[in-house]
Parts: sequence; structure tokens; C-alpha cells
Amino acid sequence: MENIAEYLKAERSQEWRDEIRKSMKTKLRLEKVRVEMSEEDPNVRNTNNIEVNSGLSVEEAVLEAQRCIDCPTPTCMTGCPVGINIPKFIKKIESEDFLGAASVLKDTNGLPAVCGRVCPQEKQCEAQCFYTIKLGKPAVAIGHLERFAADFEQKSGKIAVPDVAESNKIKVGVVGSGPAGLAASGDLAKFGYDVTVFEALHEIGGVLKYGIPEFRLPNDVVDVEIESLKQMGVKFRTNFIVGKTASFEDLKADGFQAFFVGSGAGLPRFMNIPGENYNGIFSSNEYLTRVNLMNAADPEYDTPVHSGKNVAVIGGGNTAMDSVRTAKRLGADRAMIIYRRSEEEMPARLEEVKHAKEEGIEFMNLHNPLEYFADEKGMVKSMKVQKMELGEPDSSGRRRPIPIEGSEFILDVDTVVVSVGVSPNPIVPAALPKLEITDWGTIVVDKETMQSTTIPEVFAGGDIVRGGATVILAMGDGRKAAAGMHKYIQEKIRAN
Amino acid sequence: MADLTTKYLGLTLRNPIVIASSGITDTVEKLVEMDKNGAGAVVLKSIFEEQILLEADHKMKQADKNEMIYSDYSETLDYIDDFVKEKELGSYIELIKEAKSKLEIPLIASVNAVTSSEWTGFAKQIENAGADAIELNIFAMPFNFDKECGENENTYYSILKKVKEAVNIPVAVKISPYFANLGKVIKGLEEAGADAIVMFNKFSSPDIDIKNQKVVHADVFSKPSDIFNSLRWISLTANRVKTDLAANTGIHDGEAVVKQLLAGATVTQVATTIYKNGPEQIIKMLGFVHDWMEDNNYTSIDQFRGKLSSSESANPETYERVQFMKYFSEIR
Repeated sequence: MENIAEYLKAERSQEWRDEIRKSMKTKLRLEKVRVEMSEEDPNVRNTNNIEVNSGLSVEEAVLEAQRCIDCPTPTCMTGCPVGINIPKFIKKIESEDFLGAASVLKDTNGLPAVCGRVCPQEKQCEAQCFYTIKLGKPAVAIGHLERFAADFEQKSGKIAVPDVAESNKIKVGVVGSGPAGLAASGDLAKFGYDVTVFEALHEIGGVLKYGIPEFRLPNDVVDVEIESLKQMGVKFRTNFIVGKTASFEDLKADGFQAFFVGSGAGLPRFMNIPGENYNGIFSSNEYLTRVNLMNAADPEYDTPVHSGKNVAVIGGGNTAMDSVRTAKRLGADRAMIIYRRSEEEMPARLEEVKHAKEEGIEFMNLHNPLEYFADEKGMVKSMKVQKMELGEPDSSGRRRPIPIEGSEFILDVDTVVVSVGVSPNPIVPAALPKLEITDWGTIVVDKETMQSTTIPEVFAGGDIVRGGATVILAMGDGRKAAAGMHKYIQEKIRAN
Repeated sequence: MADLTTKYLGLTLRNPIVIASSGITDTVEKLVEMDKNGAGAVVLKSIFEEQILLEADHKMKQADKNEMIYSDYSETLDYIDDFVKEKELGSYIELIKEAKSKLEIPLIASVNAVTSSEWTGFAKQIENAGADAIELNIFAMPFNFDKECGENENTYYSILKKVKEAVNIPVAVKISPYFANLGKVIKGLEEAGADAIVMFNKFSSPDIDIKNQKVVHADVFSKPSDIFNSLRWISLTANRVKTDLAANTGIHDGEAVVKQLLAGATVTQVATTIYKNGPEQIIKMLGFVHDWMEDNNYTSIDQFRGKLSSSESANPETYERVQFMKYFSEIR
């Protein structure tokens, strides 16, 4: 920790930082008001897939960067799971070296354009900002600035492709092309490995593509990052399920020395209540994957999705918000969130809840489904909903939802999307019986190296280890695992 | 030759000794052992509503401690209690299915509920898994300075009615003796559809360790003298309600079984004596009942069941008072 402090101090003392810091008095910086990112009109955007947040202009970004007082002890960094040098990239923006800012971001974060959009900064870096903790004022808009720098680089056409070491011709496999897999593959390529990413679906990007809708994270933003990896020599094989299409043994026989498993948590969970198998009731995974990846919103396609006029989405997380807002965009008259706790306990980002409300989403908080009913064709037509109240807090501090007896009523619905969480993808654990897994199906790994506790050539990270993680944490895992794999392989070579 | 066959909950039991819901009925192996040693039926270990909630709490604490899992307040973590419930209930359903495939005798599932909302769906799954009946172990602690007695009783009726609506298999209700008017409650449960009443639940009781000055659990095992409370209530209830009656607590040997049958019990439930003496105790108890019947020239249980119940008296209150006066007037 001391080394990091010293490193940050040295960085902060650089001439350009000194100059930019002294170019404006701290008092003036503190008087500035946080910029608001412009957004598309809610009544227009809820009919199409246009990105909701428009991004900051150059002027706005510089103005916002000026708010950052470049603290000697940057508390914001303690809130970042991958330790981005936040004041440095912000001061680069203030000095209008936007590509430099992007480069600082990329030192520790391979997907800044993604993280700038989907990270819960209000719970991470911005929650630890000097403005938040000392002044009680809105934090520096670190997330907006991250997105600005990354978008600027993407639009500039001058995307820096990181340097890679000379090829060592050692083959390593990455299972899954979500944020953990992409981060691991980037670092492994930098170390000089011959990296192949195996993706089960036909598109690369994992949850970034199938799980997050266009209006929140456009696919082309992800594609730019993937292109960068391709230029670094990373190979991608789509429609390839490791453990099914080929076994680990097959791949080992083909020369693969080690694997990073980032296969995510794509197994949907349901509530197991009566009628949940009726047609028209989806998991959010299926609903969003069909719309995001399979053009299901277009009735001309072979795989359309049924999305009705009265859509109930069960849950209160980001995926629930993505699903309900997607339903609205597909033409629902009533797109409803049915959540058993109150808004205060919702796991969704505040911004997503705000956007959903603006777009006309109905929130039925303190309600829980009990049963579904179908018509004679087996299509869901209504559901029994029970009102809830909040009881005593459980061990996590959240108040427990308690049903109110006799409060049940029937709600007409023609589509239901169940968004109550996911389980780790079971395919890799099933293919590797010796792999140690938890009761919850997550892979057990060493926290420092992300190496499996039972199979040394297997490393893992992201949702398959954590059950539920943010994009940035998954990426942090991928990077840690890449370093762990590098050490493991090099030691093995030395031992031989 | 004495025939011990008994009808309980509409099921034909080879004898009236039922293994009570306890730690000796929590695995298929133990259940098979009870079957081999002659039990008439088995009641599975209860699945507790609170146990599920506690397990969810435990999982949440684990997640909090182990930063590698559920590091964010995600949708998955938000609904973790639901998944814990699903997992626990799933294991219970599997236990029923497997036990059912290996047992010759009827299998009664046991649900320990404190609220009515959670259990109706689960009761249906229990039925689908193959359980022959359900024993509802309801316990609403009768200690609340604000609630009326009736509210407590209504909880029982409400849970029972909902479960009865959900399933077609028979439902027994295991109750505590702590009611202001137990007779009225038993009648109420009969009206709400109970196919049997199990008297009574054996609760864990607190004790105080004076050496370390802390509250500890009292011995959970019953003593033979514990039989008298259920003996009284079986005697008072028999022939006054149409539901079956299962006597529980303090039944440790064959003699105790005979006593309860004479008082009017349809079956007897045993646990402590099996814990202490092993499953072979069932054979010994059955042997005693059989020999006693032979000695008294009974060929079937129905011939003597309820023979000494208090139902002969039109007014049980007077019956009880007469017994009381007789007893104490004889003590000089």
C-alpha cells in the first residue's frame, strides 16, 4: 500500500499535474456545479433503441474535470475495484489531452467505454469522492468523464492498441467472452501468449451483448474493444461450448496449457410458483438475449419474442430495469416492475430507476407474485399478486418483505419476465468433476491468483466465481487471473 | 391371533406405532431401518419455516464475509432467501421421493409452519412427491401482550384450511396444549378439515445453567411421566370428534401404547425411546401390545380402543373434577 501511495505522490508531483492544479484556485473549483449529461427525450427514446445518455461535450467534460481538486490522497480510487488512477485521467481531460486520459484508463481497465456506461459509480468511486464524503455535495462525475475519454478515443480513430510481448507460442484458452474473459485475454496477449477465446453464442461480448440493451450499452461500443483485442492477436471462436463442443482434455491434447474460465452466471432462476411454466413467461436472460442478440423484436425474423401489451417484470435489479424498459420499447401499454421490497432496497442503479420512471414504467413495489393463470392455449393471461410490508432487517440490514394476508388480487398480464437473479453456468463444473465448487455452483479459487483450488491449470473469475459481480469486478478478476496464469505457466516451464 | 392393523388418516397401518417426526426420521437409511423393525408408519423430520429463513440469513452473512461471492448487492443476493427456500424444499422433496421408493409403510411428511402464506404451494409439491399424508406442525407462540386468544387460534385454522385446499392427501395437525380452551380448538380444527390431531408437540424448553449463569436448552427427550398430559386429552377428546387422534410424548414402552389406545388414541407416536433403545425397541413394544391383547382376548384394536376414554361421561368437566376429588380425598 505504501508503494502505491508513493507512486501516486510521484505521479501527482509531475510538472504537468502541478501546472494544471495551480491553474485554478481550489475555491473556484469547489464552487462549480456538477454537469448533467444530456439525455434523449423519454417519450421518444422509449419507442426506439437509441442510447439514453448522450455523453458529455468537450466543453462539459473540461468543466467537470475542473471540479476535481486532485486530492493528495485520492479517496475515490479506494472505491474503484481495479484501482484506476482517477485524478490522473481527470487532470488529463482538464488539460485537454483526451487520448492521454483514455490511455491512463486503459492502464488498468481494458473496457473504459463500457465501464463508463454501466459501472455503479455512485456506489464505488463517486461514493468515495471528496465532494461526497467531506462536503456532502454531488461527486465529480467520474463515470461520465470515463465515458467521455473512452468515447473520444473511439471516435478519434486513433485507438491505441496496447503493445504485446513477442509470441511465446504457448496456447491458452479463455472460456467465455464476457468482461472477465475479455480482460484476461487482453493481458494474456500482452504477455505474449497465443490466446483463443471460446464463446458459446454466435456473438462475442457475453453479458455485455446479450444482457445489456442497446439503449444502455450500444453493441458497437463493445465491438471496438473486441477489435482492439483482435489486433493484439487474440483469436475468437464463436458457437463453441467448452465441455460440449470439445472437452478440456481435447483442448489440452490440442496444446492448450491453461484455461481461464469466465463462463458467467447465465442460468436463470425462477420463483417456482404455480403457473410459472406457461407460455409468455420468460426469464430475463431469454427475453433480453432474444431481443439483444437475435433480432427478436423484428417480427420478420425466425425467432421473434412474444412481448405483450401488459408486461410484468418481477425483480428490482438492473436486469429487471433493462427488461421492463425493453418491453416498453417493444410496444407495451403497461410495463410494470413488481418488486417485493420498497424502492429503497432495490439493487438497481438509481439512474436506471430514474430513467425507467421517466419512460413511463409503473412501479408496483411491495408486491410479490403468487401464481400465474393461462388461457386455453396455455398463454399467461393474469397473475395473482400479494401486497407486502417490510419487517425487521435481516443480517444484510435489508428489511425483510412480509406478505400481507388477504391482500391478494388479480392483475391482467400477457407477458411476464422473471428477473430474480441467476445461477452460475453449470457446464464447466459439470465437465470438470474434480473442480471444487461452492454450494451455489461457483468455482472456488485462490483470491490472489484466481487459480482453481483443485485443478492447477484452471483459473476463473467474474460471475462464475462471484455469483453476481459488476463488469469492473469481473474485469479485475480476469486481469488477476491472467497474471496468475502467467506465473503458473512460467514456473512450470522453469521446473521442466 | 391379535391383529394390530390400524386405520390412521385413511391409511392402513400394520400397527399403531408411528415414528414421530424427529432426528431419527431425517434420512432414507434411518426410515428404512424403522420400516424393517416393524413401525406402522413414519413421519419425516419437519422442514421448518424459520430454519429456511435462518439459512438465508446465514448465506447472506457468508456472502458478506467471503468477498469472492456476491460482492455486490445483486438481484441474485436480493432474492437469496427464495433460492435457499427452493434448495431446502427441493432437498426435502427429494427425500420424500427416495424414501417413498424404498419404504413399505406409509410416509407422512411434516411441515413446521408459523405463517400460512408460504406453505400451500409446498404442500402440493409434497403431495406430488408421493407423501401419503402431511402432518402440519403449527406453533404460534401464545405469548403476546396485545393479541387476543382467538387471533392465535385463527392462525391454526387459516394454515390448515389453505393446505387442505391445496392438496388431496390427508392432513394431520400437531398442536401444543397451550390454548385457553383446547376442546374448542380441537373442534375448530376438525371443522377446518383436520383428518387427525396429534397431541402434543414436544417443545425444546429453556433451562438455566447457574454455574455459568446462562440460558441453555433443557433435555429434549421425554420422560415416561410426560405421557399423562396427552393421555388426559386423548381420553377427553376420543369419541367426541370424528378426526383421528395420535398420542405423542412420553410413550416409551408397550404398556404406554396400550394405555393410549385404551384412552382412545388411533395411533401412538414415539421418538425418545427409539433414540435411547434403538429401532429394535419397536419390536419389543409391538410384542408387548400383541401379548397384552392375547392375554385379554382381544383380536383387534378396535375392540378396546377408547374403552377407558372419558367420553362415557356426558360432561367431561365433571368427570375431571370427580377424578380430582377422588384422588385428593384419598390422600390423608
